[in-house]
Amino acid sequence: MVENRESIPCIELRNLVKRFPGVTAVDHVSLKVEKGKVFSLLGPSGCGKTTTLRIIAGLETMDEGNVLIDGKVINDVPAYKRDCSTVFQSLALFPHMTVEANISYGLERRKVPKDEIRKRVGEMVDLMGLGGMEKRRPSQISGGQRQRVALARSLILKPKILLLDEPLSSLDRKLRKEMQVELKRIQREVGITFLYVTHDQKVALSISDIIAVMGEGKLEQVGTPTEIYETPRTRFIADFIGAGNIFPGKVIASGNGRVQLETEGGLRVIALENKDIRSEEVTGISVHPELVELLPEGAGLEGDNSFEGKIVEMIYQGDFIETRICLDQTGGLITVYLRPDRKTQFSPGEEVLVHWSPESSNILLG
Amino acid sequence: MKSWNITGKILPALVTLVYSFLWVPVIILIVFSFSNDKYGIGWKGFTLGWYSEILNNVAVRNALETSLIIAIITVVVSTVAGTLTAYGLYKYKFRGKEILRMSLLLPIVMPYIVTAGALLVFFTRVAHIPLGYPSILIAHISFSTPLAVFVILGRMQRIDWTLEEASIDLGADRLTTWRKITIPLLLPAIIASAVLIFPWSLGDFTVTFFVAGAGTTTLPIYVFSALRWGETATINAIGAIFVALPVICLLLVTLLQRKGVRKSW
Amino acid sequence: MYLPSVGPVSIWNILFVIAPLGFILYFSFLTAGPFGRIVPIFTLENYLALARATVAEVFLRTLLFAFTTNMLCLLIGYPLAYFIVMYGGRWRIPLLFLVILPSWTSYLIRLYAIRTLFGRAGLINSALLSLGLISSPLEILYTPSAVVFGLVYGWLPLMVLPIYASLVGLDPYLLEASADLGATSFRRFFTVTLPLTKGGILAGTILVLVPCIGDFLVPMLMGGAGAFMAGNLAYLYFITAANIPAGSTIGIALTVIVLLILYLCIKSGGKETTERIV
Repeated sequence: MVENRESIPCIELRNLVKRFPGVTAVDHVSLKVEKGKVFSLLGPSGCGKTTTLRIIAGLETMDEGNVLIDGKVINDVPAYKRDCSTVFQSLALFPHMTVEANISYGLERRKVPKDEIRKRVGEMVDLMGLGGMEKRRPSQISGGQRQRVALARSLILKPKILLLDEPLSSLDRKLRKEMQVELKRIQREVGITFLYVTHDQKVALSISDIIAVMGEGKLEQVGTPTEIYETPRTRFIADFIGAGNIFPGKVIASGNGRVQLETEGGLRVIALENKDIRSEEVTGISVHPELVELLPEGAGLEGDNSFEGKIVEMIYQGDFIETRICLDQTGGLITVYLRPDRKTQFSPGEEVLVHWSPESSNILLG
Repeated sequence: MKSWNITGKILPALVTLVYSFLWVPVIILIVFSFSNDKYGIGWKGFTLGWYSEILNNVAVRNALETSLIIAIITVVVSTVAGTLTAYGLYKYKFRGKEILRMSLLLPIVMPYIVTAGALLVFFTRVAHIPLGYPSILIAHISFSTPLAVFVILGRMQRIDWTLEEASIDLGADRLTTWRKITIPLLLPAIIASAVLIFPWSLGDFTVTFFVAGAGTTTLPIYVFSALRWGETATINAIGAIFVALPVICLLLVTLLQRKGVRKSW
Repeated sequence: MYLPSVGPVSIWNILFVIAPLGFILYFSFLTAGPFGRIVPIFTLENYLALARATVAEVFLRTLLFAFTTNMLCLLIGYPLAYFIVMYGGRWRIPLLFLVILPSWTSYLIRLYAIRTLFGRAGLINSALLSLGLISSPLEILYTPSAVVFGLVYGWLPLMVLPIYASLVGLDPYLLEASADLGATSFRRFFTVTLPLTKGGILAGTILVLVPCIGDFLVPMLMGGAGAFMAGNLAYLYFITAANIPAGSTIGIALTVIVLLILYLCIKSGGKETTERIV
């Protein structure tokens, strides 16, 4: 979790509320973003993450709550005076201006002298690898280059905060991966606080220092990528993050550092005990498909979390095979990611054994 | 297969006929404007006389001047007012928005003669606005502004408005954003409306005639009187100019666009 | 925030568009005095006069001419728009402009051009005379047909534009799907294309019908005695006779007719119609 020592957070939201007709887009959101870190707001479309970003940028007004930058309340500061810069999802590059003019736009508004502008633009162009593109128009450069121009345009102003609204969503997979690495590198070099909004957990996991998962306007969980991925605390997050095997249930016994749950389907599932969580609060467990082992029937592994079932479907995904097994005991489905080199060992319709270790059981609270 | 033949032969034939129907009278007019015939009909040798007549004839020159001044003022006022109003209509919600829209459509959908008559009565019996430049300008602006509003409004629906937000985000206030981002983006539509309004204002007869009063003569009014009194030859030349004008405007705009395309979006 | 942007035009509209219309409505109920004066005595005489045979005849003729013109414009304009859209290819826009350009020229000049061609001293007559085919000039103009011809000439371009826009907006896949399901091109046209372009047709109708109803130039320049239209009546009262109440009444009557037509067209055409007008 975010450690709040004596340092003042770069961004702080206190009980932020924003309502639109018929829906509360941001529902009492409070969070703190540490200086120099990459903080992601992750969630499905409509969860309020973009609205939150826009409120911080000053492009939307809040109905309740406060936004603080470096400890100062900036609710009434107009967007063009705030020390944060936004990279828009559509990039919003000015089509009637050259790459150079786009990048220098913000500096010109600050009345920076012409030769200083030229110098800084030159540096930024080098940093972004845009050499030779200066005189071109946005329509004449590639998607990846446009991305970098948008970044350059914002970074050149040396803002305290860079707000990024799904800037990679329009890129193809390969380009996206490259840009992710680029972004991380730039952020390390420049040291600016990044607030990144995305619905793509892969991006969030790979670039963030801290992730905040949002759903229907509320903050669900805040933590490091590892925490969010390996120990999602609610069903919503587990589902969203891809820990697809969710077993609602209640704790029936505990001891020896373990807890036993009985799921709604009647399965007995074992998980490791967590001292900070009370048994009454537990609503079930989730298991990542890649942590579930698939064994042939009668492999003889009698242990915790071993169940019999029949393979219903095997879907080839390239780097793994998504295998669905129908559990004999409950009729429910469990998903296992099978390594491709094992694909010949199993086939649909076969009776198998699924198994995962208690460490792999993730306790859910909501 | 059979129907293809029908469309294949009849349709192009019909189309050619229609285009000729539309353009032949006008082309003949232009041809005769170069003809040395006093009545402007028939070919009696090439001459540019009627065109120089336009410049030399005081009455014609004055009428041309009047029309030009009115047209230019109309274009400027209408495009500015049109841009402002389109912006307001597009961006803001307010009570009476639909009423404003409807009232903007009124001058366009009402028959000219009704608005012309209404304006005449209004100017002479109610508001006591002098007939002449003031009344003509008011009438022209009333007709042209809605046109500008709707053309610009149409363009607004195809603009990426996050560009304005990006500008503000980068530190420009509302006014600067307008100047550097919004207006340049709207420029094609503003120019398009100017290209529509200028020839209209220059060539309008009905409304102008009603509200012009005795002392002010625009070019179309001159043409009308000349028609009545039989001085037809010069009219050919004037007519040719009226035909050439929108063509020239269009060519200019296309050229500007083409040059711009190389540099713009 | 919106006030400075829409305020000026709103005020202007109230002053110079709505108020004048309001005033002629008011004046239509007053009496005409000598020397063009308006006597503030309330009367329905002006409206009753509309029912008089002479006036009613003019209105009926106007409507007849306007509708005939509209039909002709539709019959000519639709195939033209269809051709440009379906077979125009790269030349669509130039072809469209070739149709639209004449309408940007002065209306008066275009009518004069027709007179040059068809008038008694016009080109056709001179040619026929000199070829000895006729002994005295033909009276081509100054007939009711000439008026309709002139009106069609004037307003055809305005019928083409909305239909063009409507056709261009058609999803080509709809036609393909229809063909795929076995419809011949005739059927495709009548069951798919035509209904879907209804909005454009109605918009074109509004753009043609309304000006025709109020037109006075065509009858004046090439119509003669038998072609007196409502527009000429208004001209007569407003300009020649300075009978403001009577003129106002004609104006209001025309307005009511136009509003009725608008209502009917928008009702059957729906939203697309209003979009196409613009």
